[in-house]
Amino acid sequence: MNCEKYQDLLSDLIDGSLTPRDCEEIEAHLSACGACADARADLHAIVQFCREHRGEYEKVPNERAMWLRISNLIEAELPARNANALPAGASWWFRLANRSWQLTFPQFASSIAATVVVAVLLTFAGMRVWSNASGTKTGGITVGSEVSTVQDRYRQQQQLVDYWNQRVEMNKTRWNPQMRETFEKNLSVIDAAVNDSMGRLTRNPHDEVSEDILNAALSDKIALLKEFSEL
Amino acid sequence: MNHRPPVQAVRLTASVIFLVASLATVAVGQRSVSRHFPAGKNVRLELKNLSGTITVETWDRDDIKVTAMMDTPTVHFNPRQTDTGLVIDIVGDNRGRGDVGDVNFKVQLPPRSSVDLETRRGQINVSNVQGDLVRAHVWTSGDIQLYGINAARVMASNSTGDIFFDGEFASGGTYEFKSGQGTITLQLPVNCGFRLVATAPAQKISMGKFWNPNMKTLGEGRRIIGDVGDGRASVTVTNYNGDIKFRLR
Repeated sequence: MNCEKYQDLLSDLIDGSLTPRDCEEIEAHLSACGACADARADLHAIVQFCREHRGEYEKVPNERAMWLRISNLIEAELPARNANALPAGASWWFRLANRSWQLTFPQFASSIAATVVVAVLLTFAGMRVWSNASGTKTGGITVGSEVSTVQDRYRQQQQLVDYWNQRVEMNKTRWNPQMRETFEKNLSVIDAAVNDSMGRLTRNPHDEVSEDILNAALSDKIALLKEFSEL
Repeated sequence: MNHRPPVQAVRLTASVIFLVASLATVAVGQRSVSRHFPAGKNVRLELKNLSGTITVETWDRDDIKVTAMMDTPTVHFNPRQTDTGLVIDIVGDNRGRGDVGDVNFKVQLPPRSSVDLETRRGQINVSNVQGDLVRAHVWTSGDIQLYGINAARVMASNSTGDIFFDGEFASGGTYEFKSGQGTITLQLPVNCGFRLVATAPAQKISMGKFWNPNMKTLGEGRRIIGDVGDGRASVTVTNYNGDIKFRLR
């Protein structure tokens, strides 16, 4: 087998669904092939991360509506019914309902764009109505949802941080001591900014400056971890 | 006569030999490479370094000279000429090769060049570049010094270290400076015009002669927003834990 074949089997190896003989053969190859061993380490980290964070992701808001959209798409891809099969005296409504909707790419793109524009306008309109109804708006941020929004965003970003942190930890042993020290020092500078702005936001959830700094520092932290995960 | 004891003379000789041998080893261990590349007047230099100092200067010639001083003689250094300029990627060329030590660059190029410089650790110095873009990014620690810059887009950022900018802001240009810890100093001519958003949550923002009463301070002085002059350039300065200073050129 070549590396490509071995890498195809890595997922099964991690899931434990291979025979002991196959496992032995792959392990022997991994001990000799650095590229495949790296691929296994990456895949293992991803699978482990997914297992550890199972159930932490937000549910789809309306599962039924989403399923309907999917089934509509599947039906649209089925072979179109023959339009000639329509009865001769059929009404325009009957013809419209039984028409095969095959769109060219520009038509399809235009319809998607139109849908997005309508969705955005409806969202804005909805937000305006909602914020006017609640009547507690300060500095562009709505009081009621503000704290939970910041914390939700922080939690989501933290999941990304955890993922990239794991990858960095795997590679850190290969770095020289000077690079490790520099990395740790700079990460602590960013962490200090994150902690400081979180502290300020806890005391004052309306603090726009701290919210901006928190977002910027978290983005910087993820970018730094991402960059150093490849080192 | 005062004769030096033989033991001391031997020790002295041995020390001198050891010192000379050490210096020779250092000189042999390092490698310096110098290359010339033909270039037009408007070229773009893209340089990604792992560790070491990057110095970029301009000269009155239509070519680029790159001098690289490498700590490790086995560093892969493969500059690539593209349609628009020159790409040097020490990170990509040495991926998976472990520690390759410092590579210190000195680049000389035409004044109308654009430069996009990045290093994981080390100082970046750029002087007298007047092309479209000047970008200097240090992922961790290292000062950034930009002198005599006149570019439409300038971005300078590091995690730890000072950032110094001396130059002009073009009308309609965008200028971003960001540091995690260090002092950001902008040295500008008196007649420059820009719209400013400066944020320093932990330390002080000092506007000097560029302060005017139409400027707004937010968050107990942690952010200053306002126009200076015609306000046509956009300037964003963020320092998580350090001062921001404006000075007259």
